[in-house]
Amino acid sequence: MRTELSTGKKTALYGLMCVLLIPFVFPTWWMVTSSVKPISDIFAFPPDIIPRAFDFSTYSKVFELQPFARQYWNSGYIAALVTLGTMTFSSMAGYAFARIRFPGANIIFMIVLLGLLIPAEVTIVPLFQMFNRLGMVNTHWPLILVPIFGAPSVFATFVMRQFFIALPVELEEAARVDGLGRFTIYRKIALPLARPALSAVAIFTFLHSWNLYLEPIVFISTPEKFTLPQALTQYTDAYGGAMWNIQLAAATLTALPVLIVFIVAQKQFVEGLAHTGLKG
Amino acid sequence: MTAASTDDAAPHGPGQPSRKRFALSMRQRDAIAGYLFIAPQLIGITLFVLVPLGLVFWYSLHEWNVLANTFTFTGTANYQYLLSDPALPETLMATGIFSAGLVAFNMSLALLLAVLLDQKLRGITVFRTLFFSPVVVSLVAWTIVWGFLLQKNGGINGMLQTVGIEGPNWLRTPTTAMISVIVVQVFKNVGLNMVLFLAALQGVPRELYEAARVDGIPVFKQFRRITLPLISPTMLLTMIITIVGSLQVFAQIAILTQGGPGMSTTVLVYYLYQQAFQFHYFGYGSTLSILLFVIVAGLTFLQWQLRRRFVFYEN
Amino acid sequence: MRRLTLLSTCAAVAVLSALAPVAAQELRMTIWSANEAHLALFNGIADGFAATHPGVTVKFDSLPFADYTTTVTTQIAGGNAPDLAWILETAASDFVNSGALYALDGALGGDAYDLGDVSKPPLGLWSKDGQILAMPFSTSPFAMFVNNDLIKSAGAKTPAELIAAGEWTWDNAVATASAVGASGKAGLIVRDFNYQTWKNLAAIWMGWGAQPWSEDGKTCTFAEPAMVDAMTFIHDAIFAQNAMPGPGVNADFFAGDGALTITQISRASLLPKENPFDWDLVPLPAGPAGEYYLIGQAAIGVFASGANPELSADFLAYMTNPENSAKLAQFFPSIRQSLLNADALSKTNPLLSREQLDSVVIAGIANGTVLPGHSGFAQIEQVVRAGLDAIWVQDADIPAALSNICNRIQPLLAR
Repeated sequence: MRTELSTGKKTALYGLMCVLLIPFVFPTWWMVTSSVKPISDIFAFPPDIIPRAFDFSTYSKVFELQPFARQYWNSGYIAALVTLGTMTFSSMAGYAFARIRFPGANIIFMIVLLGLLIPAEVTIVPLFQMFNRLGMVNTHWPLILVPIFGAPSVFATFVMRQFFIALPVELEEAARVDGLGRFTIYRKIALPLARPALSAVAIFTFLHSWNLYLEPIVFISTPEKFTLPQALTQYTDAYGGAMWNIQLAAATLTALPVLIVFIVAQKQFVEGLAHTGLKG
Repeated sequence: MTAASTDDAAPHGPGQPSRKRFALSMRQRDAIAGYLFIAPQLIGITLFVLVPLGLVFWYSLHEWNVLANTFTFTGTANYQYLLSDPALPETLMATGIFSAGLVAFNMSLALLLAVLLDQKLRGITVFRTLFFSPVVVSLVAWTIVWGFLLQKNGGINGMLQTVGIEGPNWLRTPTTAMISVIVVQVFKNVGLNMVLFLAALQGVPRELYEAARVDGIPVFKQFRRITLPLISPTMLLTMIITIVGSLQVFAQIAILTQGGPGMSTTVLVYYLYQQAFQFHYFGYGSTLSILLFVIVAGLTFLQWQLRRRFVFYEN
Repeated sequence: MRRLTLLSTCAAVAVLSALAPVAAQELRMTIWSANEAHLALFNGIADGFAATHPGVTVKFDSLPFADYTTTVTTQIAGGNAPDLAWILETAASDFVNSGALYALDGALGGDAYDLGDVSKPPLGLWSKDGQILAMPFSTSPFAMFVNNDLIKSAGAKTPAELIAAGEWTWDNAVATASAVGASGKAGLIVRDFNYQTWKNLAAIWMGWGAQPWSEDGKTCTFAEPAMVDAMTFIHDAIFAQNAMPGPGVNADFFAGDGALTITQISRASLLPKENPFDWDLVPLPAGPAGEYYLIGQAAIGVFASGANPELSADFLAYMTNPENSAKLAQFFPSIRQSLLNADALSKTNPLLSREQLDSVVIAGIANGTVLPGHSGFAQIEQVVRAGLDAIWVQDADIPAALSNICNRIQPLLAR
């Protein structure tokens, strides 16, 4: 489909895309600009595209009202650990399901796939009871362990399995004939080749952890241990009234770094996905 | 699923004793390696998915009032109530409309965007980034912003007014409220499917298009005959993920409509959340969880069965 | 596998370092404020308690307001009930009747506590069988904030003028709101109602003597004539007179968008400091059934299932003793009579005049009825919300919609 286009067609395409962009970009723009508007200007009708007055004090208030830097660190290190852990264990499991023959592999794979089908709301109460018995409530453990080993990791395992299935097997067979063990083959040969799939898994996993909302609310109750999505809802006055401009400033701060990472890494990300082929 | 590579029953040339012994020990070592490789995830799934699911089923056989701290076995009483629950038909209807609408809109928009982004245009990565950007915005913030924009005197109607259209009261009329929650959710997440489709499109060998062009096949036909079949495996997968995801949408509805007006946007997972967490009926909430699980599993199974008819495989 | 072991060890160390050490005697109290000034005050009170109870610390857990009751319930379900919790008036009935709360009479009986100083009517909601199960720490009357600038520029009568003339009735209030509505701004905004939180409409329907259910909570009274009249009046104000912003319309009084707003007086803190308008605070207008007062309440309760309910109750008593109540009063209006006079109140509410404090705060707390509540309120609230949606349209059949609501909630009320 990628053919050289005439100038007219190009202009039409640009026009179409610009129109389509409005609902994708305008809310974010509104969020960013409203974060520096005085609160009385936020609900102006029709909305101002460019703020009439600037009030950057909202950004310092974000840090005054809550230990926001600490919460930023919490979200960051949890997402990093979850991403690393998922990349490690899901690539191992995906590799085994794709490459190693062992009794019951198909049945086990089906059982693992069950994890894809279960909404977090369904299992949150039993999970809470389990972690409470282990004394891990109001710690970050549930937010780290469940995503790495539980339901959210299944998609990653699936992606990795599909990638390894599509990978030519000859290299590994040569290594096996040379007498290398499975783990060495996985570590030294398969994994380096899996970089594209791993980068896709990394982005999905990071985003999932970064945006997790229900679980932190249930498990974490001390502001110093909050994660960002949870912290965002806390910019309210004493009676539950939202402090919109401060909340939006905090929301802007949480979105920007991820967006920047995506901009930097998107080429690898898209190509990574292209290589996995993600076939059923 | 291309299951051949995990087939443990593959024959290994019987009748050759010396090789068989070697093969056996190799297989045993392989089996041990395989189990070690999957052990972390299998233990995780058992602990964090299977056991909780079993517990949820156990709760569903009880009446559990959290505040009063009562936990009484009631057998199938919750399931009997499920069948007579006056709110359930409305809820299932809303769930069906929501999921169908969301999947249809999400898939077609994702495909359209992917095709547009697959063109050779200067600055295309800028567009790609912008279309993807809502994915990284916090869900809560995104929904709150849309909540403002969809007010009767909000940004959407403000824009419509400039072109002389008087917009509807989006979140206060049953039809437009349903459309609104679907659309808000799609714009938030379509970027993911878009990138998946884009990746699939870029995986289609260029030579096929070249050949088709030489044969004088028009672009639209190329799309139907070459592109669609080749990306159909991706479409199946994204469709399953999108359907499963659509049945889990909850925060958006809580923020935008609280299930209203009337019951028009009360989808199953929101209803479940209300029953269990807001009304404190954990037993009945668990019963609804089991229902949701059965629906999701059933739909997925059905799609998996249908894949042979609609999905094209190269091999 | 060495690398993996290393990785998980790193993970373990990183997480462990994030955990705070747990003290031997730590009480946990869930609250819905994350406001630094509030937390500083609470922590100061907790330090004071530790002075007489060595080794006891109190940890205040801020939960999001929107999910507050839900989150507390989930924690209880998971077997991790807090020792103490703030409880909202709508959830009072559930908590008080469930047996989950620890009776406080023992802890509140001491001379130093001076229970006789506490107004009794506001305790009603929080007591059962003559025992106090939770202590209100914030009792905030509903009143009407006024933007005189908007009213004057619309050429209408201000509430102050109407009150002076003895004509402060709902009909006249809506006439004023309607005049402002005609000028393009919003008339009367029932804050936080948004066509969802219908309990706030009690601030209007009480003027008609209407109530959602009977005193004993067993019978639905939504379809009674008083409620039909009140709802018809509200519907008329919205759809015929343009005196209230319609469904789906955003308007914020404190941003200067509206002439009148009904809210709790504690929201005075939202009045704009830059570009202020000429504001006033007045009692709610009289309805056909006369004058009335409405209050919102929040209380602190102790969970019986906690590790040390006796100690928790002692802390509750300390937190609400005369001295600390006076400190809390700068944010949360107290029900102690010694704090309910204009002298004491003006110290903590510098924005309000003595007259406003007298007519709104003192009269309101002394005579107020609490917002409607019921056991199983969350479910009733949802069903009524869905039923009322039939009213918020131009041509609504109000009696039919209200009797439909009664059909749906009667089984829930009778339970």
